[in-house]
Amino acid sequence: MTARTAKRVQTLCIYTALVLGAVVFVIPFAWMISTSLKPLNETMSLPPRWIPSVVQWQNYPEAIEQMKLFWRYTGNTLYLCAMTVIGTVASSALAAYGFSRIEWRGRDKVFILVLATMMIPFPVIMVPLYTLFRELGWIGGFKPLWVPSFFAGAFNVFLLRQFFLTLPKELSEAARIDGASEWQIFLHIILPLAKPALIVVALFQFMATWNDFLGPLIYLTDQSDFTLALGLQAYQSKEGGTDWHYLMAASTLVVLPVVILFFFTQRYFVEGIAATGGKS
Amino acid sequence: MTKYEKRRLRLGLLFISPWIAGFILLSLYPLLSSAYFSLTDYSVLSKPVFTGLDNYHMLMEDKLFWQSIWNTVFFAALSVPINLITAIFLAVLLNFNLPGKKVFRTLYFLPSLVPMVCLGVLWQWMLNGQIGLINQMLSPFCEAVNAVLGTAISPPNWLADPAYAKLGLVLASMWGVGNATVIFLAGLQDVPRSLYEAAELDGCNFWQKTRHVTLPIISPVIYFNGIMGLIGSFQVFAVPYVMTNGGEGPGRSLLFTATYIFNKGFQAWSMGYACAIALILFLIILTLTLLATYASERHVYYAGK
Amino acid sequence: MTSTRLGLFGLFFLSVILFGFWLEEENPHKTEDGRIIIEYWDKWSGAEREAMQELVDEFNRSQDEIYVKFLSVSNITRKIMLATAGGMPPDLAGVWAADLPVFATQGALTPLDAYALEYGIAPSDYLPSIWRQLVVHDHLWGLPTTPATNALHWNKDLFRQAGLDPERPPHTIAELEAYNERITQFDDQGRILVLGHLPTEPGWWSANWSFWFGGDVWNGHDTLTADSEANRAAMNWIASYPERFGPKPLLGFRQLSGVFASPENPFFRGRVAMVLQGPWMYNFIQNFAPEDFNWGVAPFPALRLEDYGTSLVETDCIVIPRGAQHPELAMAFLDWLQQPEQLERLCLGQLKFSPLAEVSPDFYRKHPNPHIRIYRELAESPLARSRPQILTFNEFSSDMGSVIDNLVRGEQSPAEALQELQARQAALFDRKHTQWEKVSNARLKEWSSQ
Repeated sequence: MTARTAKRVQTLCIYTALVLGAVVFVIPFAWMISTSLKPLNETMSLPPRWIPSVVQWQNYPEAIEQMKLFWRYTGNTLYLCAMTVIGTVASSALAAYGFSRIEWRGRDKVFILVLATMMIPFPVIMVPLYTLFRELGWIGGFKPLWVPSFFAGAFNVFLLRQFFLTLPKELSEAARIDGASEWQIFLHIILPLAKPALIVVALFQFMATWNDFLGPLIYLTDQSDFTLALGLQAYQSKEGGTDWHYLMAASTLVVLPVVILFFFTQRYFVEGIAATGGKS
Repeated sequence: MTKYEKRRLRLGLLFISPWIAGFILLSLYPLLSSAYFSLTDYSVLSKPVFTGLDNYHMLMEDKLFWQSIWNTVFFAALSVPINLITAIFLAVLLNFNLPGKKVFRTLYFLPSLVPMVCLGVLWQWMLNGQIGLINQMLSPFCEAVNAVLGTAISPPNWLADPAYAKLGLVLASMWGVGNATVIFLAGLQDVPRSLYEAAELDGCNFWQKTRHVTLPIISPVIYFNGIMGLIGSFQVFAVPYVMTNGGEGPGRSLLFTATYIFNKGFQAWSMGYACAIALILFLIILTLTLLATYASERHVYYAGK
Repeated sequence: MTSTRLGLFGLFFLSVILFGFWLEEENPHKTEDGRIIIEYWDKWSGAEREAMQELVDEFNRSQDEIYVKFLSVSNITRKIMLATAGGMPPDLAGVWAADLPVFATQGALTPLDAYALEYGIAPSDYLPSIWRQLVVHDHLWGLPTTPATNALHWNKDLFRQAGLDPERPPHTIAELEAYNERITQFDDQGRILVLGHLPTEPGWWSANWSFWFGGDVWNGHDTLTADSEANRAAMNWIASYPERFGPKPLLGFRQLSGVFASPENPFFRGRVAMVLQGPWMYNFIQNFAPEDFNWGVAPFPALRLEDYGTSLVETDCIVIPRGAQHPELAMAFLDWLQQPEQLERLCLGQLKFSPLAEVSPDFYRKHPNPHIRIYRELAESPLARSRPQILTFNEFSSDMGSVIDNLVRGEQSPAEALQELQARQAALFDRKHTQWEKVSNARLKEWSSQ
């Protein structure tokens, strides 16, 4: 077996594994799209029916119409996404830098506190948080949904810290010898190199805000302030059944932008380093 | 402390100041509040009444609480390593420079994007003992074994069987592995190409390169995903919730501690009790995280430290 | 250069925050034309929400003093809990009457006795089986919106195929089981094809089976009796299913029941002939059952013939939380909503029957559900039952669900399961009851003085 055939066999193996896995992983999405094009009485069949008997494209405009404020909800959601992404990326990059690239006494002990904040089950902090936002007069508005993202959430700080720590120490030291301040090192050396991780953080935050149901449910008090995730319940009624075809059509519309966003941004976090010359 | 150390300290605190503010307001204050609630009888609807250690005494004798802890530990012990290995494996495959890799990466990430309501229905079908996809794939295998060995094994009833329900949940939670995979993918970009080239010159094959170059370099990311998996699986809630339609599974096999906290706090009007459970869970996760951190310290390689 | 960049970074950060604060206005307390805003939250979504929204809009058009701001989300209980804890509840909230005992005893509601007197709202205006659910510890806490009862729904075609009279549903449990034997069919591998009845299809009222066995799960006052004779009889009846049909075939059968609100519902697919259900079944059948689906509604069979006609009456209701900003104005809307014209329109829109004592002749003519009178008669019957007003009902109910699941899987004996449940639930019940007794005197005094 020559090296070339060996390479080919390897490629073939990888492809087979990837295709098999992809089939399993694509099931939920394929099912969602197929359901979104079905008549109502073909949804939820057991085992699932993959090809609808009639393809009902009109489910999409009808779903939008039934949600009534679809575009308004989209606007609200995009606003919240923009605010939380900006807040998260900026604040957690700062904090992560402080936890990784600057050495100060007790740093790693304080970092345990960062991790600890993620271990508190959410149901039990809902009441105090609500009370806090009420004291601030924020209930009924968007502020409880985006202001916290400006305070460096633990998940993102942890993620960025881990990435910052993989960058060689010599980078900072060389810059320090050149007389650069910490701010300059942060902005000019670390941030550009950590672009893949920053984009991952931005993407995750975008998705989290985009899909958040509980937050808007608790804090919003006006139907026209709803987000898309909350608006999806327009198709579910306890005593009239669920309009599954509309629910799936609207869900597809809601998810599609994220899929596209993911498809086109992966270049930046998967190939980002190679494109900018990297560090080697 | 020297003057230099003081300056570094000030600088460090300045950088983490957004986090400090958030920590005090959004984490410490709620945590202390719920620690106080755990010493009270609190229905949320009226003011808490101090009852001392009552809730904790009750906890010790609460069979359902212990069952929920056992279920949670069992689930975490299975799902954390399985998901971690799957995510690394997928990330390594997806990192090959193959045509169509972008499409593959997107496909593997898709389940993380599908709304929970939809996933719940699908899981119930895939894990269905009679007509589920998984059992359809397993049954020829079982028949082959039966034909050879003369046994009478059949595929399990997953969600309907207390012995297999948690295993079914582990399978279902693997669909969400896309997030960790993406983080690993981003981590893999940090591996300097020169190291691979050097390894190739030394005659290392693919697995040796992975073992001796890739894994050590991305070890901070493995640590990250491991800890996040630990924290996440000890608070597993949404997936079993939609899979059981808000129930507890056959023989309470899917009653997890986070579910129990939710039920006590928001359905049984016993927030004080829920807070006591939450505090115990918090301490368990914290202890395990510290142990994991301690144990992995020698294996995590930080270029920046 | 770098300090400019640093400045820009900080400036950008701050300006985003300022932008957000500037963009978002405070929620107003008055409309632009000076009307006071009444916040009304309810738990409906979809078509039920639409029916209420129309009424709210109509009320708002007729008003120059009040504007009702209607907000409807499906998981409302948590939202109301948090808002109450935060001290800023809505002026009106839609809850289930089953939640009233907890809300009321926790001091989270405004008693409506004085308002009822002022507006001339009397118990005699409503069906007694509904009114009594709104009263906890002799005080009135809510006014009803849309009620429901549960009844036997049967598939007439399956009856005919089994050689049974499709117009004569069973009256007693013994009859039900005789029918069950006739209808149930197995295939040659021992799998169940059709089942006459199975208590877990869909099994929504785990805590209330004792009603049809002539009893309850508490003494109506201060003791939980999950192991009462009636509940034991009910559980023995459920445990007889795995004994007769085998736990394995039953498990296989249950796994083929798809999503309830779908054509896979075993009742719609003709896999189960008899189910315990409510008036909403009409909507589901319209949406998901085959077009020629032939069904009937009758009281659910009881152990003894004299209990035939028993049903569980439930009702949605609207309360004024304690701490509401404008209770008087909220009551004005609530009173308007309680007028027969409005209430009947709401019940028609949500396809329920009317909770009022008198029903206008038009109501049944306009009602699309041909069986609506049967549900209503069940609520009128002296045998009508309501959920036990116990403070631990949610926990009790889910625990009973677990017991029933264990019984159907044949994993536990009824006696053992009930004994374990009684021990656990009685402890929880006693705890809540003792807590209530500590504050009851103060609470009762406070309510009477209002």
